[in-house]
Amino acid sequence: MTSTTTDIRSSEGGLRSWLERYPFLPALVIVVALLALNGVFSPNSLSFRSLTGLFSTYMALIMLAIAQTYVVSAGDIDLSAGATLSLVNVAIVILMERWGGGAGAVLLALALGVLIGLACGLVNGIVVAALRLQAIVATFATSIFFTGLALYVMPVAGTPAPALFWRTYGGRLLSVPFVFYVLVALAVLLFLLSRTRIVTELLAVGDDQQAAYQTGLPVVATRIKGYLLCGLFSALAAFCLTGDTASGDPLVGGKMTLYSIAAVVLGGSALAGGWTTVVGSLLGALTIGLVNSLVFFMGTPSEWQNFVQGLAILLVLMAGVLAGRRARA
Amino acid sequence: MSKLRLNGVSKAYGATLALRRGDLEIAGGEVHVLMGSNGSGKSTLCKIIAGSVRPDAGQILIDDKPVSISGPQSARAAGIGIFYQELSLASHRSVEENICLSALPVKGGLFVDRAALKARAARYIALFAEVAGEGFHAEALVGNLRADQRQLVEIMKALASEAPILIFDEPTSALDRAQVDRFFEILRGLKAQGRGIIFISHRMDEITAIGDRVTIIRDGETIETLKLSETDPGTVIRLMVGGASDMPSARSSAPAVAATQEEAAMSVRKLTGKGFRDISFEVARGEILGLGGLHGQGQSALLRAIFGASTVTSGEVTIGGERYNAKSPRDAIRRGCAYVSGDRGRDGVISGRPIIENVTPIHYLRDRLMIARPSSLRDKAMPALEAMHTKFASLFHPINSLSGGNQQKVIIARWLIDRPDVLLLDDPTKGIDLQAKSDLFALIRELAGEGLGILLYSSEDAELLGNANRILVFNGGSVTRELTGDDRTRYNLYQAAYEAA
Repeated sequence: MTSTTTDIRSSEGGLRSWLERYPFLPALVIVVALLALNGVFSPNSLSFRSLTGLFSTYMALIMLAIAQTYVVSAGDIDLSAGATLSLVNVAIVILMERWGGGAGAVLLALALGVLIGLACGLVNGIVVAALRLQAIVATFATSIFFTGLALYVMPVAGTPAPALFWRTYGGRLLSVPFVFYVLVALAVLLFLLSRTRIVTELLAVGDDQQAAYQTGLPVVATRIKGYLLCGLFSALAAFCLTGDTASGDPLVGGKMTLYSIAAVVLGGSALAGGWTTVVGSLLGALTIGLVNSLVFFMGTPSEWQNFVQGLAILLVLMAGVLAGRRARA
Repeated sequence: MSKLRLNGVSKAYGATLALRRGDLEIAGGEVHVLMGSNGSGKSTLCKIIAGSVRPDAGQILIDDKPVSISGPQSARAAGIGIFYQELSLASHRSVEENICLSALPVKGGLFVDRAALKARAARYIALFAEVAGEGFHAEALVGNLRADQRQLVEIMKALASEAPILIFDEPTSALDRAQVDRFFEILRGLKAQGRGIIFISHRMDEITAIGDRVTIIRDGETIETLKLSETDPGTVIRLMVGGASDMPSARSSAPAVAATQEEAAMSVRKLTGKGFRDISFEVARGEILGLGGLHGQGQSALLRAIFGASTVTSGEVTIGGERYNAKSPRDAIRRGCAYVSGDRGRDGVISGRPIIENVTPIHYLRDRLMIARPSSLRDKAMPALEAMHTKFASLFHPINSLSGGNQQKVIIARWLIDRPDVLLLDDPTKGIDLQAKSDLFALIRELAGEGLGILLYSSEDAELLGNANRILVFNGGSVTRELTGDDRTRYNLYQAAYEAA
């Protein structure tokens, strides 16, 4: 009797410890299942070409979800991530155009774009961590502010990005699609970041802010750094979006903010902070992309697409939550 | 030369003085014990030294030089390490990360040096290797550990600061014998290295085993510092209690009921649950049974478990001879159990609603009332409220318009419309004024006179001594002593509370 109970416990403990080490496993299972479903409804959707398309379309959301993950780690949230993306998007398009669209102009504009993203992150960090305003409301306010700036930079959507930029993003390098280089670079960057002190400290702050303070961690500075990372990745998201849409749009990012938060949760992170996974967020963003394409391939009438999308995301969320709860129970 | 000295340190939270005048002097190579009853200011004093609470006044000297400690980081830089009573751990991080969290080893200015972190943590984990128990290893997540193992991690974290001054605020409350012995061996080693150690514990045997000197704090003031070798536990407890400690309580106020009736209102046999174990007692009809001891030794947990608000793992409860097994408070209420908590906000008040709604919910439940008619409810509510001398403008004013004491009277009144058989009082006078307190106890005695069995837990010893016919003293989740008759003295209560579990 005793031996059987310990056996059960150890096997459950095995699954549990797997989940603790790789909290994105449920998200991975869901992505694989969605890929399979996509394949059933449209075998063509699993081709290399379609997958390349999937990644180049959703790379922006992937980046934005990762951006969100770093603030969520510290128990914060950023409702201005999408507006930051818009601002960087219109800024780099305008700058590239002004400077003639050559290789030098593109690189310089990108560098400035990174700085703009960081500046937006710094504003959020100061407002939320140093001035101690509620993160949800404060970043909602800054999102309006950033959107206002974006509208000032480019009042009407439609200015095209230089061909050099989007041809590179959408093209191939040594016969491998460029977007996969982006993916590999992202993987390396995430791996390096996961080893940094700042990420460990972000998670400790998100776990229990009072405990982190009593431990002697610089809580305010850490949270600001979280927002800086968020700003950086929002800028990278803007680059991917600009490569994909090949134009500037001052309102493009607004609706992506809540998708990025949904992706974080779908990936297995805890919104309360202290327990996050960037790989999960990547998979969560892919989940949203795959749900959208599945709804399309199923031949849903266009007026029902939103309804079905919402329902499908809700179902996936429930599946993930149930799987996690069972493993933890 | 003193390692650390505090002169006249004080701290107030609003109108409450947490620490009136803290003086302390720690020498190198000693274990200095801080003693004082609940809320006397020990933890506040420790947090001031560790920088997580900023003092309003006073001076801190380290190695005879005045220092200003602006936060936990600067305290650490000044050479102070601390074990927090409520722990300061990140539950989703691993044991080794938690141990090194305050100063993560870094390479290249950016990356955590995993190898160095592992090596450093391993040194402290090895100290407790034989006693840490199953499932404790460097990569385990702290949230998955048992309470005693988490406490060990906090100890390791404090040790890893390698600070010359170490503070341990109740580090042994969850540890077992072997773990405490190992910890004391380590403390003796640190003492030999010349470190200054502040140690707080509520177990007298531990204090005499490890302490060199003791400083007694009473009501936020440092009373005296003594050498433990030149004193005895009795003296220490007398100093903690203050004057008039030997007077039997029975003489200061009459016992609640002259002779209790024979019949048991409630009997509890070998009850075990989360926070308490193996509790047996009987409450006679008309008896007030006091639950004493330090805060959080299982008294509240027991009362809540009897009321069905938390689970009982074994044992049985009978009310009026009938076996009773509450699965939920709803069940307990139907069986004639009443529970009044001192935490009104959490357990009592229906915030923002009128007084009448706050008086009648139990009546709804016991009478299975479906439709409420205010006029008939008023006739039932008024006598109950009047019995308590409750002051209120009208039954339809929101409960938040009343003072804390009157709110608590409303809460108690809700149980009086339909008489319960057993009344469970869980520190009912927390945060209410003196007049309300005396009204409340007058009523409690009256209820006992009418044949209710009453269980009273109070964090104020005077309330227990003045009202209870018998007192069960709790220590570490079980009853260690029963005080009856003339044994019910402040001195005996303290002694029983502080002796080893």
